[in-house]
Amino acid sequence: MTTDESSRASVHLGSDGEDVELIRRRHVSDYFRIERREIPPPEGVDGYSGFSGRIPVDDHQRGAGDGLRAGGLVTAVDSLGGFMSGLAVLPQWIVTTSCMATISRLDHVGPLSAQGNVLRRGRSTVVAGFEVTDEGASGVPVAALTMTFAILDPGDMNLDFVRPVVFDMPPLQEHGLAPEEFFAIEPGEGPVTRLRLDDRLRNPWGILHGGAVAMLADVAACRAAQSSRPGLGQAAATDVVLHYLRPTKVGPLEARCRVLGHRAGRTQVRVALHDVGADDRMVALASVGTVFV
Amino acid sequence: MALSGYPPPVHLLGDLGMEAELTNETSAWVRTRATPHAAAPDGGIRAGVLATLVDIVGGAVAARVLRPDWMATADLVLEVTGEVHGPQVEARGTVVRRGRTTLVIEALVVSVDDDGHEVLVGGRTPDPVAWASMTFAVLPANGREVGVQAAYDLPVQWSFTGDGLSAPVFDVINVIVEDAAAGRVSVDAHPYLHNSFGAVQGGAMALIAEAAGAEALGAAVGGTADDVVVTDLQIAYLALGKVGPIVSSARVLGPGPGGRLGAVVELFDAGADHRLTTVVNVGAVPVGLAGEYGSTGGSR
Repeated sequence: MTTDESSRASVHLGSDGEDVELIRRRHVSDYFRIERREIPPPEGVDGYSGFSGRIPVDDHQRGAGDGLRAGGLVTAVDSLGGFMSGLAVLPQWIVTTSCMATISRLDHVGPLSAQGNVLRRGRSTVVAGFEVTDEGASGVPVAALTMTFAILDPGDMNLDFVRPVVFDMPPLQEHGLAPEEFFAIEPGEGPVTRLRLDDRLRNPWGILHGGAVAMLADVAACRAAQSSRPGLGQAAATDVVLHYLRPTKVGPLEARCRVLGHRAGRTQVRVALHDVGADDRMVALASVGTVFV
Repeated sequence: MALSGYPPPVHLLGDLGMEAELTNETSAWVRTRATPHAAAPDGGIRAGVLATLVDIVGGAVAARVLRPDWMATADLVLEVTGEVHGPQVEARGTVVRRGRTTLVIEALVVSVDDDGHEVLVGGRTPDPVAWASMTFAVLPANGREVGVQAAYDLPVQWSFTGDGLSAPVFDVINVIVEDAAAGRVSVDAHPYLHNSFGAVQGGAMALIAEAAGAEALGAAVGGTADDVVVTDLQIAYLALGKVGPIVSSARVLGPGPGGRLGAVVELFDAGADHRLTTVVNVGAVPVGLAGEYGSTGGSR
């Protein structure tokens, strides 16, 4: 299967009954409308390219904190970090193994600006660091993220890029789906939340996009926090630690939460994510800090 | 531990005092005593000490699972979630996933009595003291990176015993504050802090990051490091800190939701071309908020 064949799919989005052709490789980054720019090292300097990105924070993507919810932030920055790290290891490519995010601001004017660098390129892994600020709020700090990627053989994936890589901000999508709908997260409450593995959520390798896992961990943790302390309002995630353990191939993906404790206004939730259709194996482990807003 | 001569008789791990046991092929526990010199400004145990504890339990499990290969800690996350109720705390680590190049371990820290039984509060098990996760990079025994090799006859039980901390742990490791607002501290890479590679041990790096983050965040709220309690450490280990001194810088992220504070701390090996060794996202709360716990209800 060529990359072009694997990366295009006709899918059904939303409730309007209209099928839309999408490009799998960019499907999720198009949803968040991520502008991506490679920043090559200065001429004569031996090093890896940095990356900058901008994320507009559309109204339909705002969470309880009135900004891009944590799962979206992690997904967007992972997209930038993954691309940057992939370029650093060409002709090989990468897959995300872990992400550590701390979010200092929940309400965003937007667009958000993300700047990152390769912190370490090892034999089998790449570590990347990003800091996110709010352009629309005088550049106040929003988040810091550190991600680890494993280096892998990309198979027949097409990795020809015009350098420096530039992807302009995609246009606003008309479907206006909230993240829970876009990522096919089932409605509910309590400690268990499920995601349907719709075909459109698969990446070019045919497995569930990591952004969907991050969004499910966020939504599930917030629901668990709200159920554990009813009456305090809506929960929003402020810190996310995510270990991607195995690919999600079958689905549904089930997030099973355990509230670990409440301290200084924060509720900490452990989230174990299981691929129910694949012998219920655990595919990711997350810890999410939430606050009530 | 499994390596003869490590740790040496005078060492941070011995002075913290740890008992450990491998409970099966993929799990272990490590205990330490809650002493005043390891205490945070709110009376709990410092996040850096807890990080040292979970790094040891993770390393113990990893050494058993990976033998004859060896490992290096690639990342470590520690989140303080509850109060300390017992005279000791116990980190319980277990394997989550063993891959070809990495091993992921999860640990829960709970309060225990001197017999190792979990402490009950009002007839219930209280919330855990902390949650942690770690990724270890696998270093093949025949690879060039490995300077040590795990023995096949790893002990099932062991202890690190020293004279105990003679002063607050930041004083014992000799944290020198150069610029509090900038989070600039300095610590010599002396053998007291070494790991089995002869570099500053991962838990000691966590302590240095805690100190740097607390200095910067304390200054950011118009006070000192003793006015904040570090509750979260998200640590990426990039390179060994072998030469020293280990020096830090910090960028404060600004006040977060509910009064929470955050900073990005970077640790450099000043004697090795100022190489970046470690990046740590540090989370904290003002000391006035640190004691606000709410029970999840626990379990009977």
